[in-house]
Amino acid sequence: MSKTSLDLMQGTVAVLILKTLSWGAMHGYDISRSIRQRSDGALGLEDAALYQALHRLERKGWIEAEWGLSENNRKAKFYRLTDEGRKQLQVEVTTWRQYATAVAKVLETA
Amino acid sequence: MSRFPARRLFRFPWRTAAQVAADVEEELRFHLDLVAQELIGEGWPEEAARLEAVRRFGDLESTRKICRKLDLSKEKQMKWIKALEELGQDLRFALRQLAKSPAFTLIAILTLALGVGATTSIFSVVDGILLRPLPFPAPDRLVRVYPLSDAGKPSAFSVLNYLDWRKQSRTVEAASLLDTTSVNLTGAGGEPERLRGALVSPEFFSVLKAPLVAGRGFAAGEDRPGAARVVVLSEELWTRRFGGEPGMVGRTVTLDGTPYTVIGIAGRNRWPSIVDLWMPFELTAERIDPGNRGAVYLSAVARLAPTASLQGARAEARTIAARLAAQYPEKNTGYRMDLAGMQTFMVGDVRVPLLILMGAVLFVLLIACVNVANLMLVRASGRESELAVRTALGAGRARIVRQLLTESVVLALLGGAAGAALAVWATRALVALAPQKTPRLQEVGVDSSVLLFTLAVSLGTGILFGLAPALRASRPDLSAVLKEGARSSRGRLAVQARSVLVVVETALAVVLLAGAGLLLRSFGELLHVDPGFNPKHAIAFNLAPPSPKYEKDATLRSLANTLVERIQGIPGVTAAGVSAFGQPLSSGNFWLSFDVEGRPKARPGEEPAMRIAMVTPGYVPALGLKLIRGRLFNAEDREGAMRVVILTQAAAHQYFPHEDPIGKKIILGWGFANGEFWTGRVVGIIGDFKQSTLSNDSDPQLLAPYDQLPIGSLSVVIRSTKDLGAVAAAARAKVHEVDPDLPLYELQTMEDVVSASVAQPRFYMLLLGGFAAVALILAAIGIYGVIAYAVSQRRQEIGVRMALGASRDRVVRMVLGQGLVLAFAGAAAGLGAAFLATRGLRTLLYSVSASDPLTYTGVALTLVLVAAFASYLPARRAARTEPQLALRGEV
Repeated sequence: MSKTSLDLMQGTVAVLILKTLSWGAMHGYDISRSIRQRSDGALGLEDAALYQALHRLERKGWIEAEWGLSENNRKAKFYRLTDEGRKQLQVEVTTWRQYATAVAKVLETA
Repeated sequence: MSRFPARRLFRFPWRTAAQVAADVEEELRFHLDLVAQELIGEGWPEEAARLEAVRRFGDLESTRKICRKLDLSKEKQMKWIKALEELGQDLRFALRQLAKSPAFTLIAILTLALGVGATTSIFSVVDGILLRPLPFPAPDRLVRVYPLSDAGKPSAFSVLNYLDWRKQSRTVEAASLLDTTSVNLTGAGGEPERLRGALVSPEFFSVLKAPLVAGRGFAAGEDRPGAARVVVLSEELWTRRFGGEPGMVGRTVTLDGTPYTVIGIAGRNRWPSIVDLWMPFELTAERIDPGNRGAVYLSAVARLAPTASLQGARAEARTIAARLAAQYPEKNTGYRMDLAGMQTFMVGDVRVPLLILMGAVLFVLLIACVNVANLMLVRASGRESELAVRTALGAGRARIVRQLLTESVVLALLGGAAGAALAVWATRALVALAPQKTPRLQEVGVDSSVLLFTLAVSLGTGILFGLAPALRASRPDLSAVLKEGARSSRGRLAVQARSVLVVVETALAVVLLAGAGLLLRSFGELLHVDPGFNPKHAIAFNLAPPSPKYEKDATLRSLANTLVERIQGIPGVTAAGVSAFGQPLSSGNFWLSFDVEGRPKARPGEEPAMRIAMVTPGYVPALGLKLIRGRLFNAEDREGAMRVVILTQAAAHQYFPHEDPIGKKIILGWGFANGEFWTGRVVGIIGDFKQSTLSNDSDPQLLAPYDQLPIGSLSVVIRSTKDLGAVAAAARAKVHEVDPDLPLYELQTMEDVVSASVAQPRFYMLLLGGFAAVALILAAIGIYGVIAYAVSQRRQEIGVRMALGASRDRVVRMVLGQGLVLAFAGAAAGLGAAFLATRGLRTLLYSVSASDPLTYTGVALTLVLVAAFASYLPARRAARTEPQLALRGEV
């Protein structure tokens, strides 16, 4: 992971994974790559944290997993959003926006 | 990025811990491999690329652990969800199946509701009275202490014997004697009111240990003569009469014209429960006079010390009794004492009848189960092809049994819910109808423990009536069912299974019928007992003149005489009188020892005794007692005139077997004055009458003129030719005229008095009779069902028979015979079982043997008639079969 990328806070990992999976089912490696690419390399997610978060989200029932074949024909575990996860994503996005705005406001007045 | 796999790989519904670990491992390896490849693409050497991938991953080991843990818990959750989903499926399917045959469902639910409802309400009574512990702390430490009568029955204490026992006993931590009384409450902004009171020792509330709602219990010394007068009120009285006023403790109330200070309020958990107030039992000089050691009228209650056992306390009571007997041979010859747990003692009389009723109602439940099982069998045979198809398609036997059991359990739960609703109502009715003397009746109700019982019973019945049909149905003979025309052999098997069930339920019904029949016969006998008095056209009520006002004999005499005089003036009244010791058949249990003048004095403990009553001259005619010989009392038998007594025939027979009692002088063990006991000359003999209960033999009794031996408790009897209601109102007005502060209570017709005295046996008879009726109806439905089903299976055969010339009568007879065979088998088995079971009823029977042939014959006849009727309906339908249609298989 790039040294310049920002460290991510716990709750943020969840919302990023959910958002990423909202475009379709993916395995863990793809999720990690996708987050890095979309943030133009700014957001780096440690693999350990990613996988722990994936299993935690699965336990909560927000995402579900199934074994499938990757493009190079290897058995891979694919994740996708459940209906509940989709709802949760909206909640988290809203919360995150409010949070970001609030933080930005404070920083601007400084 | 890859597509989500179009076809999912097979995944087991749940995985083992090893599989979970392997899956996590595989997922992580996949990731690490891809990262390594990426690095190799960037020019890393292979080995270094692998190490770098692991390094970049972060904490691999704890990620593994965390993921495994999360996955395992997810796995567990999934298992639950899966099980619930399957249960949901089964339930939905069961409900759909039940909804498909509403008639079956409704009949089954009603049958079960009846069984479960009846069982629940009887159980609520059993639970409230027998099972639930008394509502006091450590209720198993509470005991009743009592001397034993010669017959070994619990009897009463005298004050001195009680006090001696209390002083010597080391096994109880607190004890109290108990006397019941009634007092008049006046003032306090209301009519004068008759209240039930308990006279107790200062320790009383430390025996019960139930906390008071307000104030305190009695303190040591408050039972000494001259101590401040104090009273504890019941919560009900406090709420009802004083509006639950908060400042009640410390206030003064007027009881029997004397002011008492309220020191406490006793809550709902109290004893005796029917009592309105508690007062100290004052240890007056008269009460502790050595001469009164033989005056026995007190109960006692105690709390065992923490270290003492019931056995130890009983042994101690025996020792103390022996000591008392040796110490006071005059009064205590053969003195014996015993203890029993308070609850055991309390429910002694109702335990056996309640257990019998519980057994009976379980029979009803069992019959209901059998009936529903029967219905299920019919339904199962209708669903044979459905089940066969499902089995052929691969449904496992366990799965089918589970499905069928789910259906029966759902059915049972629906029936149970309806039954619980029924039970709430039925229990209220039971409590309202039960004889008021039943102990702990007010504690009976449908509560959570009763409902838990209902749930258990419903589940149990669901499995009971569902299991056999489910097992049978899950094992269909596939080829036979799927083939055409194999219906009849299976059908015959079903008829056999159902016949067995019907015989069983008929037998159960016969046992119930026999029990109910015996109680009915016994009750009939009881009603035919001649009470010796004429209960028609008579009313009775009681008065308790408060003691300070009516303490003197003269005031009592004038009260009784004035009352009788005024009441006799009421139009239509032909006779009126007063007795001092309660109405016949209700209370009044006053026995007195006596001697006959000129005979040697009996040895202590062997004195002859009689029941005694003091009556005004009008009392004997008012009750309608028969004069046998001599004369009745008249207005001349006053105080100061010659003292006279009347004996009943039983007394004359028992104590003057070979001589004429008239003219003999009887010396009572009472009324000691001027150096001699009260002595009266026998002037008449009257017919026996029942004083305590109808079922007891007539006790020897003695009547003395009230005027010559007045005592402060009046029971009035009035005989009238006019409407009793009007007479009652007029009598009430007369009492009010004589003394407006004198409350009148227990006003009822003499016929009601008789009827109330048999309330207990009537209650048991009605309940058992009701159960037997339900059982009979269910058995009839069972027989009807089996015969109707058999007929439907045999349509073709019957058609053939008729085509070959069998007459309709012959067909009817054939079918009827089939039903009667079932009935006979059931009756035979049932009568045998009844012969054994009804032995338990013996204690409840009056002048009827438990193997009364008349009852058994009646039961058998009833059953055969009902069975004949139940099979006649399908028989008639069978006889209407059109042979041509039957032969073509069109029916």
